[in-house]
This record gives sequence, C-alpha cells and structure tokens, in this order.
Amino acid sequence: MVTHEEILKIAKLAKLSVSADELVQLTKDMSEIIGFADTINAVSPENSDFDNINHLSNVFRDDVVAPSFDSGEILKNAPEQEDGYFLVKKRA
Amino acid sequence: MTNYELVSGLETHIELATKTKIFCSCSTEFGGEPNTHCCPVCIGLPGTLPKLNRRVVEYAILAGLATNCEISPVSKMDRKNYVYPDLPKAYQISQYDMPLCKNGWIELSNGRKIRITRIHIEEDAGKLVHQRGNTFVDYNRGGVPLIEIVSEPDIRSIDEAREYLEKLQTIMRFIGISDCRMQEGSMRCDVNISVRPAGSEALGTRTEIKNMNSFAHMTKAMDYELNRQIDLLESGEKIVQETRRYNEETECTEGMRGKEDANDYRYFREPDLVTIRVSAEEVAALKAELPELPGARMKRYTGELGLPEADAQQLARSRRIAEFFEAAADGVKNPKAAANCIIGQMFSRLSTEAEKEAFDVAITPEQLRELVMLLDAGKIRMNLVKSTLEKMLDTGKSAKEFISESDMAGLDEDALKAACEQAIAANPNAAADYLGGKEKALKAILGGVMKATRGRADAVKAEQLLIQLIKK
Repeated sequence: MVTHEEILKIAKLAKLSVSADELVQLTKDMSEIIGFADTINAVSPENSDFDNINHLSNVFRDDVVAPSFDSGEILKNAPEQEDGYFLVKKRA
Repeated sequence: MTNYELVSGLETHIELATKTKIFCSCSTEFGGEPNTHCCPVCIGLPGTLPKLNRRVVEYAILAGLATNCEISPVSKMDRKNYVYPDLPKAYQISQYDMPLCKNGWIELSNGRKIRITRIHIEEDAGKLVHQRGNTFVDYNRGGVPLIEIVSEPDIRSIDEAREYLEKLQTIMRFIGISDCRMQEGSMRCDVNISVRPAGSEALGTRTEIKNMNSFAHMTKAMDYELNRQIDLLESGEKIVQETRRYNEETECTEGMRGKEDANDYRYFREPDLVTIRVSAEEVAALKAELPELPGARMKRYTGELGLPEADAQQLARSRRIAEFFEAAADGVKNPKAAANCIIGQMFSRLSTEAEKEAFDVAITPEQLRELVMLLDAGKIRMNLVKSTLEKMLDTGKSAKEFISESDMAGLDEDALKAACEQAIAANPNAAADYLGGKEKALKAILGGVMKATRGRADAVKAEQLLIQLIKK
C-alpha cells in the first residue's frame, strides 16, 4: 500500500508538483503498480529461473585495451564544451 | 560526565588495477587529456551496451578471499539511479542485493575482528571541476572499475579505523589488485559514525562523512565528529541522521543532506548484463593464485625468524619488500641482520612511502644474502657490513668486490693487543678519564681500535683487552 506521504516524497525527489486531485489518483495507480511488482518479487532471485530470458550467464570481455574515441568525437553532441571538457551549469 | 564509546563502520572504494574499464575497452590510465579515454559506452550514449571485464570479477574475488569472505556462486549487476553530471547515464551500474563477496573479516593487532559485510563491483563516476559557476566534466575516470568494501559497525576507536584501513590497503596492494593511493583517489572511504554511552548495546543515530581522501583527514574528521556528537548529547540535543562532508580548511564536518533528502536510488536489475556465476573450481584456482598475506608473513617473521613485531610490520608492508627480505634471509643464521640492512640503510635511501613500497634498489636479495652470510661466518663485523652495503647500493656490485681477504682474515691476538696499545697511547686523556670513573671514555679508545683495524677487531674482545691494559 502506498501512502500520500510517499507519493509527495517521490514527487519532491523528481521535482514534480502534484495537485490534490492528482495525489489521490497517483496514490491509487502507484499502489496497483507496486502490487503488480510484488508478483515479480515473489520469484526468488536465487532460483534457477533467475537468469534472463536468454538463459545466458558469464558473458565477459578480456582485459585488453582498444583505442578510445577522439575527444572531438566524444564532445560532438555536447551542448557546451570548453578546453576538452563537457561544460554544465553548476548544481547544488 | 558519561563515558562515550565510538561506533563506526567504513565503506571503502578501491579502484582496481585493470588495464581497461569495467564495461568497455578504454584505458584506465590515470591522468591524460580530458575525455580522451572515452567511447560511446563509457559516456553513456543511447544504444550502447556494456560488456563486463572478466578481470574485474577475478580481482574482486581475490579481494574477497584475502579478507575471509564467502564468494557468491550467483550474483548480478543493478542500476543505481541518480542524476548528477558525473554520471552520464544518470545511473551507476553497481551491485545491490547480490554482491560478489560477503561475510568476511579483518583482524586488528589487538585481536578484534572487524567484520566485512560485503564487497561489490561497480563503475567509478567522472571527475568534476567546479569553476566560475560552471562545472567542467571529464569522463576519463567514468567506468573505471571499483570495489566497495563495506564493514560492519565494529570499529570502536579512531585508531582501529586507521588500522583497519591500513590493513585493507596493505592487503589489496599485496594481492596486486590496486595501488590504493588515497591522494590519487584510487582508495577513498566514507565513515559512518555514532556514539553511545560506554557499555550500552544500542546503536546511536549515525552520520556519514563522505569521501575521505587521506588518513590524516579521516582521523581529524572522525575526531571532530565524535566530539560534536558527544557535545550534542551532553547538551540534551538530538543527533540528526545525515550525510556530512569534511572541510579541510576549517577542519570541521558540515551537513550536506538530511535523511528526508536522502536519495531514493530506485535500484533495479541491470537488464543489459547477464548473471555472473562463479564455480567452486574457479574460486579454488583464484585461491591458489593468492600470495601469502601480510598477516601470515608477520606471524612467521616474529615466530620462526624471531624478529621484533615492529620489524616484521615494516617488512610485510609490501610484497616486494617481503619477497626481497625472504630471499635475502633464506638459510642465514641471523635474519635480524638482513632485516636491519633493509629497514635501516636501504629504507633511508628511499624518501617516499611509495618508493619504499616499490623497493627499487641496486642490489639483488642474493647479494644481500651473501653479505649477511659473511657476517654469519664471523668473517666480517657489523660495521664493515654497513660500509660495504653502502658501496654495494651505490654501485650494484657484490660484497666481495669491496672486502679483501685480509678484511676477512680477522685479527690474531698479538695484532689486537698492538692495536689496543696504540689506541690507548693515542688517547691518554680518555684512558685517564676511564680510570677516574668515566666508563664512557672507553668508547673513544675502542673507536680508535676499530678504525685502525678497519673494523676487523672483535669489539667485545677489544673492550675487555683495553680495560685490562688501562688498569695495568
């Protein structure tokens, strides 16, 4: 069961504002979604059906260096850049 | 006033010394121009897929085995979601509820065991430089493999915290999975800390101090935080559960965010990576690869070899030093002499801690062994060992190059007597002082004997003979 307080906390973390009507609806929706997730959680991750759908495990790479990309390529989509760095507004 | 007890647990991040990043083949080399060790995978471009570096799993298992952990036969990777510019995907790939290693411990010198809850693998974040209201982002470090070692709140003093961290550092260096340099960020730790009245079993409200990057800062931050919490309790106030940072300038800890603002990381299984399965055979093979660990070596040095604890600790501080010492002391009668040469003269030539641990010296352990063997056989004396070792370290040449047959011949009784008589004649005042009751005056005369015989005289015999001659 999800409470109004939990919805408000999640909204705050997600930086969303929620009206009183939305709060009621969201709480109901979220409870149903969590209820559905409980069905998935009931399956123990330790059991043999735990592997993903392809039943793959241990797909590894060898520890061998390959050339990286040119930094110009890496920065190509950056909205702002300076001296080879991505530039973003400072966040708290 | 109530006596308070510290209760602390550490979360230690260690960068693994793999050649490539955890999920792509970019180099992990430290430094380099910004964003030059990057590819679409480690800058989180859509449509890219991570592929796990086998060596990361192996190194983490070695770390687990070296700290008495159980290795999980089945584990997986999870996404830890948070939004910050150091994380280009807006999530970190880590391990949540199925870490690779769990339930280990490290034993401190006072016999207490600090339990290790878990060791998991994850990717490091990029580096941020804050300047002029902007943030400059370099993703070279993004995707470098880390292990996070989480201890139980078993630590009861700042000294214990320090020793625990030092032990972790020594062990991880010994098994060669990380250089663990705090100043370069390849080892850093978060400290959880609370206090309670001594004797109480209940846990107090804890705070977490983030990102300690040196032993000095860690001990200062813990000391400040311990006193801050005691002051709050003494004045009847409540401790707020929060994350704090250590301010190096003010030497204080300051609040960053409280429990209410704590991130909800919304962990879920990483769908782009498959299950990690580790067989008992693989664990056994890795166990066979582990070198003898520093703790076991120290016990052997103090036990079998009869070295003092302090010496054993110095010699077991790095694998290179320990292996050098063991080869040099192999089969000698006096392993303490080999230890003294290493800890005294050889260390004094290496100025930094890093240089000492790397122990890059001009001579081989076999050359040191040969020198110690000459001492064992009574062919040379300690002062000649010292001067010869200096020459060996300068040139890389063997002891025999600097010690002549006559140096090794020792002195017969007549020659010793003659040398003693000469030394007394050369120091009449010292002889008079000795007779007047100044026992120390004898040392000056003995020094004369050793100098004249170039260290070949037996100091004990010479001293006895000098006393006889002076008192005549």
